[in-house]
Amino acid sequence: MPAAFSAKRPGRLPRLLLLCLCLSGGSPADATMTTQDASQSLASSLTKMQAGLTESSPEPMTTIQTANWPTQGSPSDHLTLGHNGSTPALLGPDLTTQEFKQATKENMSNVTFVEYEVLLPGVSGTSMEKNITLDSATIIELSCRLDNKYSHLKSLQVTWKRGNETIRHIDKTENSWSIQLKILDSSKLGNYRCILKGEEEISAIFYLQVPKIEGKEKPIVSYEGDSAIMICKSFGYTPIAWTWYKINGSEQIAINDSLVADKYVINSVSANVTHLKILKLTKEDDGVYWCEAAFELGRSKGNLKLKVLSLMVPLKPFLAIVAEVVILVTIVFLYEMYSKKKEKCAEDEKEFDQVEQLKSEESNGLENSSARNRKI
Amino acid sequence: PPANVGRAPGPPDGGWGWVVVVGAFISIGFAYAFPKGIAIFFKEIQDFFGTSYGEIAWVSSITLATTYGAGPISSILVNRYGSRPVVIFGGLLCGIGMISAAFCTSILQLYICVGFITGFGLALNLQPSVIIIGKYFLKRRPIANGLAMAGSPVMLCTLAPLNQFLFDNFGWRGSFLILGAILLNCCVAGALFRPIRAVPASVKPQVTEEGKDALKKEVTEEAMEMSSPTNVPMENKTEEEGGKDCCEKINQYLDFSLFKHRGFLIYLIGNVLMFLGFFAPIVFLAPYAKHIGIDEYSAAFLLSILAIVDMIARPTTGIIANSKWVRPRIQYFFSFSIAFNGTCHLLCPLASGYTGLVVYSIFFGLAFGMVCAMLFETLMDLVGAARFTSAVGLVTIAECCTILLGPPIGGTLIDTFGDYKYMFIKCGAVMVLAGTFLFIMNYYNYRMLAKEEKERKAKEEDLKSVRTENEGRNNWNRETAQDGPELEPLREEQEGLKKEVNGT
Repeated sequence: MPAAFSAKRPGRLPRLLLLCLCLSGGSPADATMTTQDASQSLASSLTKMQAGLTESSPEPMTTIQTANWPTQGSPSDHLTLGHNGSTPALLGPDLTTQEFKQATKENMSNVTFVEYEVLLPGVSGTSMEKNITLDSATIIELSCRLDNKYSHLKSLQVTWKRGNETIRHIDKTENSWSIQLKILDSSKLGNYRCILKGEEEISAIFYLQVPKIEGKEKPIVSYEGDSAIMICKSFGYTPIAWTWYKINGSEQIAINDSLVADKYVINSVSANVTHLKILKLTKEDDGVYWCEAAFELGRSKGNLKLKVLSLMVPLKPFLAIVAEVVILVTIVFLYEMYSKKKEKCAEDEKEFDQVEQLKSEESNGLENSSARNRKI
Repeated sequence: PPANVGRAPGPPDGGWGWVVVVGAFISIGFAYAFPKGIAIFFKEIQDFFGTSYGEIAWVSSITLATTYGAGPISSILVNRYGSRPVVIFGGLLCGIGMISAAFCTSILQLYICVGFITGFGLALNLQPSVIIIGKYFLKRRPIANGLAMAGSPVMLCTLAPLNQFLFDNFGWRGSFLILGAILLNCCVAGALFRPIRAVPASVKPQVTEEGKDALKKEVTEEAMEMSSPTNVPMENKTEEEGGKDCCEKINQYLDFSLFKHRGFLIYLIGNVLMFLGFFAPIVFLAPYAKHIGIDEYSAAFLLSILAIVDMIARPTTGIIANSKWVRPRIQYFFSFSIAFNGTCHLLCPLASGYTGLVVYSIFFGLAFGMVCAMLFETLMDLVGAARFTSAVGLVTIAECCTILLGPPIGGTLIDTFGDYKYMFIKCGAVMVLAGTFLFIMNYYNYRMLAKEEKERKAKEEDLKSVRTENEGRNNWNRETAQDGPELEPLREEQEGLKKEVNGT
């Protein structure tokens, strides 16, 4: 409850009020708000946001993400203003996720709040970039922070741009500049740049995009008459729906598995994964396929390539290797027979000699024994 | 009568033997590297058939189990038919298995084709290759063993990128078809395994007995060791002199009397214990690297480092083991290398970061190569080439169980504790224990063998003195008798010569 919320943080509110005074964009009436009124206005702003959001986002989304990149020692007190600039909304990194969760869960059911912060180098040259993936309606805060050691750089002018369009409502704290965006559909996605103009120009770019779908870089190889399975995965984000397309030249044809049930089978093992099974492959099935995931904020595609080969293709190397084996085995056996013949001739000669030797010894022995016999 | 006929030349130790080593290199390489190499296809096959990872992993397990479990069958066939026909048949079986796997339509058919048929074919390749090295080499046997066993890491390094290339171009079915053809090259290796009929050994009474038995039995390949540190001839003699009963017949095919052989039992227990911790670290090296934050390619590179060091270590160990200082004490060298391997694993958890793991991989590759190079050499050393055929079959089927249990136990340890270090500690401890056990028991065995050798020498001395007396009497008798008996020893020696001529 807002009352509890304010009770927990009595010290911060006056400071924030002071900031309120310093920054432009707030109506004079705000400055005279008491603590009580401030908390009431918070409640009202939160409910307004809730109202605004519930209209446009039909999906139940209860996860709340807070990302600080990188989290600095002293959380800067961001005082952010809404798009229409009328109602001050008290949101910032000094709020712990817990408290905010508490607040939001009770007031609204489906908002995601994320923050991204980039630490800028003092020198220009390297452009800092950050990729941010969003899959559902989000309130996002992007901030560019300048490191404390560069705070000596005076006369800095900061602009936030999306394409050529400049965003006006920048929240500034001591060393960081941020904007808050309500991303409700794909039109708000894109590249947001913060440009710091001093002596040099330093910039950072935030790429807001839908989640990427993982397809396969290498082609899937299959054979005519066989079947092939193509799998698309989405990591971390669950899409609303999957659609498969086949690309024929420049046109894409949606694959409807109910129409051609014995050819295509689409099923999803889980919400993040989709399978397309193509049966009875023919040469025409060769080509590029797209799996498209529909998210709240847009669509994302994965690319897959299917190669259909005929059975002759692996048969050629197969027969080549079998021929090589047969030839080698024949050579080995022929060589063996040849060397055996050679050895046999040599051995026969030797044997002949040895038999002759034995025979001569025999005859000698016989003579000896007969000699002995005679002697005896 | 010429006395040099009985003094047989023994195994060639060279010549065609080196060609046989090349053939064994190919055969052993395929047998060990192939089950690991086809793991590249598993992801795709898993998606294709819609099975879980566990079901696919069974293919590898079944192949490995069949390769080791069919050892005894392989031994029996080699005892009966010799190495060459068995390896050629094994090569054909592997080829048929993989070709039929290319047309499989369910995971069960894959289990049968890749698991059982190819696994059995690889078993028929592995055992005979190791056996025939023992038949062709004696003095240079450790080098030959080291060179032949080097086939495993070389084949693995070749198969891994080859499989990837085949997969990218032909899909898994085409790859299986082509791999079937590649496995047929085992038949070429088998064709190189010329049968060798080793001539029986020195002592004369043994010649006559051996000669008679060789003529009776259909078994064509038996070699007797002349100058091994172990006392095999005596044991063979006692066996031969025992009567021919049904046990003898079974032992003719698969020598179960080996279980009474002290050296064999020591080897069996030590190795069965060792294999509990042998393969698990390799299986989990890459996942461990990824776990501590190393990227996938560097993790795979660790395994490549391991394979390259392994490749160099095996022939080098063979050369070292063949040197005159190590050869008589080769069992100690083997126990040392097992214990060294274990210590590497125990020290692995201390390795931090990528450099530490690289150092670990190098030492692990070295130790792994040392152990593998001497794995079969030590068994040959203990039981002799004649009984090695049966010994290797019995040992592989006993190792089969622990080999299969090792990685899953390691995996369970990792899952229970969530930390890889307990798996390394377990593997290291088991191997150090096995090494120490082998060291102590072999010390005991060497002493017993020395004692038996002394006793045998003493007996021979007695026999000799008795024999010379008898011979003197016999000669006197023979001289007074007919010529026929005098010709008998000459005739038998002639037959011995003929056998020598026929066998190549």
